Amino acid sequence: MKLFTSKKNRGHIIIIGCGRLGANLANTLSDDEKSIVIIDKNKDSFRKLSSSFGGIILTGDATEISVLSEAEIEKTTAVISVTNNDNTNIMVAQLAKELFQIGQVVARLYDPERECVYREFNIDTICPAVLSTKEIDKLLDASEEMEGVV
Amino acid sequence: MKKRVVLIGGFHKTKSLATSLIKKGYYVTAINNNMQNCQSLAEIDKLTVFNGDGSKPFILEDANAYNADIAIVLTERDDDNLVICQLCKKRFHVKKTVALISDPKKTEFFYRMGIDSVVCAISAIAGIIEQQAFLDEMATLVPVGEGRIRIAQVPISQTAPAVNKKLWKLSLPKEVTIGCVLRGDKSMIPRGDTRILAGDILVIISSDEHEMTALKELTGR
Repeated sequence: MKLFTSKKNRGHIIIIGCGRLGANLANTLSDDEKSIVIIDKNKDSFRKLSSSFGGIILTGDATEISVLSEAEIEKTTAVISVTNNDNTNIMVAQLAKELFQIGQVVARLYDPERECVYREFNIDTICPAVLSTKEIDKLLDASEEMEGVV
Repeated sequence: MKKRVVLIGGFHKTKSLATSLIKKGYYVTAINNNMQNCQSLAEIDKLTVFNGDGSKPFILEDANAYNADIAIVLTERDDDNLVICQLCKKRFHVKKTVALISDPKKTEFFYRMGIDSVVCAISAIAGIIEQQAFLDEMATLVPVGEGRIRIAQVPISQTAPAVNKKLWKLSLPKEVTIGCVLRGDKSMIPRGDTRILAGDILVIISSDEHEMTALKELTGR
C-alpha cells in the first residue's frame, strides 16, 4: 500500500542536457525516487550517469517538438534545461512553457544579460556566474568578519 | 530619414540581401560572428559590418540596433534566431523582426513568441522544387498569404485548349482570376471579351487548391 502511495507522489521530470550539471541532477533526483527522463543530443554523454540511475535516457535534439513529445512532456511536472548553450535553453524553456504549459520550468544560463527575453514567461533561471559571485562575496565577508573578531 | 535594417548571421543570404537593400535605399548593418565572412561582407559598398555574436546584447548595442526598422535574423540555428529576434524586439525595440527557421514545425511557435515574420527555408524551397518538377508550364510562381494564394505565370502554347477563346467562354473556377495578359512586349488587363492567343503569357491569381483545375482548363495539361 505504501508503495502505491509513494509511487503516486513521484514527480515526472524532464532534464535536457546530460553534462556535469544535468547528470548530477539526474542522479540525485533519481535517488529521490522521482521519475526522470534525460535527453541529450550525444549518446556518449550518458556515461556520466551513475550506474544506479533508474530513469529513461533519450538521445535527440530537445528543440524538436517531436523529441519533447516522445519524452511525454504532456505528463511532466517540471522541465529543467541545462545544455551548454544559453539560446537552446531559452528556446526549450519557452517551448515547454508556451506550447506545453508546463508549470515549472528551469533554465541554466551563463549570460545573465539576456534576462529581458525570458522574464515575462515565468521561467526560473540559474546563472552560475551570479551564484558564484554571491558565494565568493559571502566567503570574503565571512573571513573579514573573522579578522574583525581577531 | 533612411530606414535602418540590421542583418544578423548568414553569409550568402546576407550578402545578396544587403546588396539589394542598399540599392533600394536602406541603411544596412550586418552582424556576423565569423571574421572571414565579415571581411568579405565589408567589401560591399556602404554596408556597415560588425564582427560578433548577435545573440549578445552588447554586440547589438555596438551595431546600434536600437530602434532599427527591421531586423532580419539568418543564423543556422533556430534557437539563436529566436533569442536574437526576441532581444531585438524587447530590448532594442526594433519595429519588425524577421526570422529564418529550418524546422517547419516551429513556424507557429515562433509567431506565438512575437516574431513578426517567420520564413521557413526548407518548406519554401521544397514548394519551389515541387512546382519546378511537376509543372513545367509555370514560369514563375509567387505564394502569398502563407501559400494559400498563388500568383503564377502561365504561357499559352499553340495546342492549349484556351487558344482563340474569349475569357468569358472559359469555365474557370470562381477562385481563379486572370489578372494580366502579357502579349509580346505589351501587357494588358483582360476583360471578358479579351481573346487569348497562342504565345500569350497569362498572370493568374488563384487559391491553392483551384490552381490545378485552372491550369488544366487553360493549358490542357
